[in-house]
Amino acid sequence: MIGLELLRVLRQATTVTGLTLRYLLGTRRVIPTALLGAVPFILTLALAAGNVENFDIVLFQILLVPLFLQVVLIFVTLVSATTLIREEIEDNTLPYLLTRPISKPAIVSYKYLGYLAAVLILLIPPLVLAYVVTDLYAGDSFTADLDVLGAFIIATILGSAAYGALFLFLSVVVRKPLAAGLLFGFVWESIVGSIPGDVRLLSIIHYLKSILKDLIAVGPVTFYESTVSAEIAFAVLIGMAVAMVVLSMVRLHGMEFRQKA
Amino acid sequence: MSGVVETNGVSKWYGEVLGLNAFTASFGRGITGLVGPNGAGKSTLFKLLIGQLRADQGSLRMLDEDPWNNVPLKRRLGYCPEHNQLYGWLSGQQFVETLLRLDGMPARQATLAAVEALKLVGLSKAAHRPTRTYSRGMRQRAKLAQALAHKPEILILDEPLSGADPLARVQILRTISDFARDGGHALMSTHVLYEIERITNNIVLIHNGKAIASGDIHAIRALIDEHPHAVRLTTPRPRDLAQVLAGMDHIVAFEFPAPDALLVRTRKPDAFYKELPEVVVDGGPEVTGLESPDDSLDAVFRYLVG
Repeated sequence: MIGLELLRVLRQATTVTGLTLRYLLGTRRVIPTALLGAVPFILTLALAAGNVENFDIVLFQILLVPLFLQVVLIFVTLVSATTLIREEIEDNTLPYLLTRPISKPAIVSYKYLGYLAAVLILLIPPLVLAYVVTDLYAGDSFTADLDVLGAFIIATILGSAAYGALFLFLSVVVRKPLAAGLLFGFVWESIVGSIPGDVRLLSIIHYLKSILKDLIAVGPVTFYESTVSAEIAFAVLIGMAVAMVVLSMVRLHGMEFRQKA
Repeated sequence: MSGVVETNGVSKWYGEVLGLNAFTASFGRGITGLVGPNGAGKSTLFKLLIGQLRADQGSLRMLDEDPWNNVPLKRRLGYCPEHNQLYGWLSGQQFVETLLRLDGMPARQATLAAVEALKLVGLSKAAHRPTRTYSRGMRQRAKLAQALAHKPEILILDEPLSGADPLARVQILRTISDFARDGGHALMSTHVLYEIERITNNIVLIHNGKAIASGDIHAIRALIDEHPHAVRLTTPRPRDLAQVLAGMDHIVAFEFPAPDALLVRTRKPDAFYKELPEVVVDGGPEVTGLESPDDSLDAVFRYLVG
């Protein structure tokens, strides 16, 4: 009996996750997000093609923190996570899911898993390719700077989880989550995240930079001032992501849907 | 349990606006039509029944259960929404199959059930086309297919004929009739009494959020026959269509509200709806859409509510 119930839950999870993945990666909306996600790779290719002097893993770090973590990551997670529930509400497709024997909190969690898989597919491969281009150009071995690649991959995963959960929550509490998300992602994060002292603890980017600082052996990111260790940053970001997803579940559970076509 | 759906003094507010006003009615077994003009509260009642809205006052039971956030009840329910949006990037087959998987059905079984449901509503040929390419009538049938595919006990159908072409209407009504004949219950809303009359005698009349009458459809037929019934047909050749239809002796007026539209006023809507598909099939001008403005029904409601 429990086995059958588990099987049913698994089928529902794979269906909602698959539907989300298919929507985020299989429709025309993937073109701008994939192009944006490919920016690190395109940039390193351009640097290599332009024979830029001193293009190595240090320049990689200098460019990728502001460009990738503070622009690409935020934008891709924002446009992907805010569509998960809000777009289904606006498009009137949510009733198809809500009239099936699946709870609203379950829909939220499975959609979030689909989102996470989709954005990581969009963000990780270009990051790895950018690393490969950098080390190839600099004449270094691919294994020489694996700490840098590993740290950026971990920061991307945790950043996608935290930003995505926050933007998902925004999408179930405000009607215009994109505007609210833009304000948070580009105004709050850049202002609060750059104020010296403890105020930075209120920004996600501070924890992402703290992870880079702790995990990378040599390079400009190691000079970032932070008292937060990678372990603490990991725990804070995961805790925040879980809290935001749970709050989104609670919010959706009590939500009524009244709009008509 | 006396009725399949029982509502007692159910009220629902949208801010200052009252969507349902102490609505009390009992919906019996088989097919029941919920008839009322646009804005009467039909969709609000249905959204309460599928658990998409929560009643502010009163009690509401479907299959003897409270629908709000009731996950197990949804196994027993099939819902066809009023709007025509589908997941446009999925084919009809994928659309129905995906929703069946949410019922916990294994992949193979879901595939077969989706094929069967699409065949039932006459969409087999278009099953593998993206639903964004579907006409309004095809969308209506795809929505009906997903509502039926898991073999529910009760169907909630919100204006299932809205915008469907004459042939799609026949197909949809036949499918609902067959479902009821096999023991299912269906609640179908419409603002066109004559649509529901073809498949059931049981109706509940709703107006301004209140149930104002219920029971046998024939009891109010006479009232409605006193008011010419309006039907708006979409066609590329409205004047040619008017010529073809002019032979029907129950038609009292034609109007041409748009270059691609013909408004027909008839004293015998049932005869008109019966004869129209034959005219279309027999080489008459193509009819791509059919709607009934609810002014004729409004007149009856004004009479009923004084």
